[in-house]
Amino acid sequence: MNTEQVSVLYFAKSAELTGLKAENITVPSNISSLRLWQHLETRHPRLSVLRDQVVLAVRQEYVPLGEQPLTLRDGDEVAVIPPLSGG
Amino acid sequence: MAADGGQDLITLTVDKLSADRVSESVTCPSCGAVSLFIGTTRDHFEGKKVIRLEYEAYSPMAESELRKICSEVRTKWPSVRHINIQHRLGVVPVTEASVIIGISSPHRKDSLEAVKYCIDTLKATVPIWKKEIYESGEPCWKENKECLWGDTGKDPKQS
Repeated sequence: MNTEQVSVLYFAKSAELTGLKAENITVPSNISSLRLWQHLETRHPRLSVLRDQVVLAVRQEYVPLGEQPLTLRDGDEVAVIPPLSGG
Repeated sequence: MAADGGQDLITLTVDKLSADRVSESVTCPSCGAVSLFIGTTRDHFEGKKVIRLEYEAYSPMAESELRKICSEVRTKWPSVRHINIQHRLGVVPVTEASVIIGISSPHRKDSLEAVKYCIDTLKATVPIWKKEIYESGEPCWKENKECLWGDTGKDPKQS
């Protein structure tokens, strides 16, 4: 199985829960968004409070949590996006 | 940018916003209307006194989502001339503007509708977050009811 190193960015409440703004992790390149989220929850159990109200952004495009494979490439940027409150 | 030279201006900044500057930046001789929306920070939430607000953004993606909004505006209202969307980041004292949108068009209907579309869509799709800090009690990350994956759409008290 191919693995890729991706950069995960945490914003707002997710940054407070993990104590991190960013980290590099290695994951299978064809992982689904839901499996990737579960992987992040395993690394940071406090993230579980966001489970039902979070989406990811992959290469700066929104991806809801689901079974569709992501086709990640080395160096990709993945962001954890809690509910928005701009404006 | 629109084909006929209309400008899409997008700014994320920690500096204080100016409605005058936004208004001037979209004014043009062929336009009879400049519509402005100014979003300001409230001093209370559910009886708690708000001391200040802090905004953070996923800046490159926020700029990209704002450009998508400009592009949608130009499809929906082709007469729109200039668009300027400014969002403040970092600490914003209460009563100061957190967001200003200015749009010009030859006639008022298009720019008024386009400004409403801009702010409604910004709240739903642009990755920016606001934390309220209260006089007493825990700070709170807010959620826009327009955000499809939040759960405050069910809670009419928040916006």
